[in-house]
Amino acid sequence: MSSRSVRWRVAELPTTRAGVERAFSYFIAGVRLGTLAQMIPAVHTGVATSPHGAAYLVCWIAAAVATVTVSVVTLVRRRPLGAAASAADFALACLLLALAPLVLESGERFGTWVAYQPGYALSIIITASGVRSLTLWAGGLLGVVVSYLVYLGASAGGSMISTAVGNILTYVVYALVTRMFFGYTRRIAHDADTSRARAAELARREEERRAQVMMHNGVAVMRLLTEPSTEAARSGLIDLAEVELQRMRSYLRGREQHGDGTAAEPGHSVALAAMVGRVCDRFADLNVDALLDLGVGLRLRAAQADALERALESLLLNVRVHARADGVVVHLDQGAGGSWTLTVRDDGVGFDPAARTGGIGLREVVVGELRRQGLAVQIESAVAEGTTVTISSRPATAAVGSGRDALADAA
Amino acid sequence: MRPTVAVVEDTSLIRDSFGLLMPGLDVVAAVSTVEELIRRRPVVDLIVLDLHLANLEQQPDVRQGIAAIRALTGCGYRICVYSQEERRFVLAACLAAGASGVVSKALPTGRAEQLFLEVAAGGTVVPQPVVGILEVLVRRDCITLLSERQRQILHGRARGLSYAQVAKQLYVSESTLRGYWLDLTRSLSESLRNLTPGEIERALGLAPGDLLEFWSGEATDAKSWWRADSGR
Repeated sequence: MSSRSVRWRVAELPTTRAGVERAFSYFIAGVRLGTLAQMIPAVHTGVATSPHGAAYLVCWIAAAVATVTVSVVTLVRRRPLGAAASAADFALACLLLALAPLVLESGERFGTWVAYQPGYALSIIITASGVRSLTLWAGGLLGVVVSYLVYLGASAGGSMISTAVGNILTYVVYALVTRMFFGYTRRIAHDADTSRARAAELARREEERRAQVMMHNGVAVMRLLTEPSTEAARSGLIDLAEVELQRMRSYLRGREQHGDGTAAEPGHSVALAAMVGRVCDRFADLNVDALLDLGVGLRLRAAQADALERALESLLLNVRVHARADGVVVHLDQGAGGSWTLTVRDDGVGFDPAARTGGIGLREVVVGELRRQGLAVQIESAVAEGTTVTISSRPATAAVGSGRDALADAA
Repeated sequence: MRPTVAVVEDTSLIRDSFGLLMPGLDVVAAVSTVEELIRRRPVVDLIVLDLHLANLEQQPDVRQGIAAIRALTGCGYRICVYSQEERRFVLAACLAAGASGVVSKALPTGRAEQLFLEVAAGGTVVPQPVVGILEVLVRRDCITLLSERQRQILHGRARGLSYAQVAKQLYVSESTLRGYWLDLTRSLSESLRNLTPGEIERALGLAPGDLLEFWSGEATDAKSWWRADSGR
């Protein structure tokens, strides 16, 4: 869709002050042109029955030209008319009402669009109520009401009094309602703009805080690295620098939203990708690539999600403490029928699954708990070849082939 | 024989020490701007390009980012980006703009050198986050024309599995698998170049326009560093 067509769609308008003024311009043009459309069919009859056909036509054309001009100008300006143009708009409506007795038959002042002047005045009241000056608005309304009384003249007697009073009340009520509509909508837009500005400022401060937290240890480590020190101290500092390096990489990678991130309530489901993303964020000192796009939309029972969160945290803690890995990949994949597979792979030192000491923690903490929750786990590792842990909602046979080094939960 | 390399890098320390840190590369030119390199037109196997080249102190208005990649590939050079940039869509945009590889400055120099050699030899180095993007594009049929074997390889590599692990799963030798991966990454990078941001947004479930910040069209605003700037 082109940007040009988007601009004309009210649903696409921004909820800003500028957007609201643009919507007002659509409203004004719609009301004014709608009124003109109602006036057009009666113009021929009006000219034919008027005692001064030429004068009637001149007045009608003035009203039509004003309507089209106001509509075009508001659409081009993308906001309602200013004070001077609104005053002229009110003045023309008053003038047309005042001149109407001269160009209309007395019997045609009610109930027909031959007498377009009261309807035209109503359209002015509805659309010009967006003018910001209260004095101008009240003065314009008063002028229209007085002009309408002039318009009625002697013809408002008898059964027409109730209609005349009703029309005047219509002017007043419509003026008040549209004034409230314009004012309230402007206030909403103003509040929305203010809230957005505040949210942006809060986000900026949060970003600043994150940057400060991320950097403050790094600055200290870099400072110490520039100082002369013993070989042992320097070796420790280099290890610390490596940790800070990974934190900085994590910061540079930026944050991404995975799924809706809805918090879990007891008995409810949890967005899996969002939960996994949050756990990975807690391990900024590891170089974690969280590839979760294929699992966005997956939801898990709260109890399963809790167990999985603890297991993932244990796995990443294990990587932090033991693996000496350059990188970790956390990959989430959705299969058919709502099944899923979470793979955690590190390229660290790995361990020998045959040795009883290696992997015991993983087996007890991760495998046991997840199995109790109905999840399948497979751990594959070899010395110097890293470790791959596959957790899935069904027996883990497809994602990673079970090689000879696999530590399956059935072991 | 060592491949010949030109380095475009605004930090003088890295620029001057590049050849010493990576002895497997024959650095024949080290300059601070793309403009200077284009003026000199050295004959090299590979250009190692920093993405952030503008700096307030010395060269505030030089070409950088995607614009720099496009300018150099337009001259027929083979490019490997060498940057501290970590945002995955920016990295993907570099490959889509014509770079043959993206190497992180956070990697140990030995590993970085190995990757530069791979690119110089005709390979394509795709960072892990971009492999993840490519897998999604393949799974959602945004990139087609892959064989079943290629899909299996991508499946394994996207999960971080080593060449050896994937080779074992597929019953092929590691060197054969490396050859497959070389062809696959080259093919995927070319496919990426032919996709529009809208197609990628739809495949990844992003909102329309989310990628415009990262992805450059033919004519884009030059204010953001990663966008193309044909005016300079």
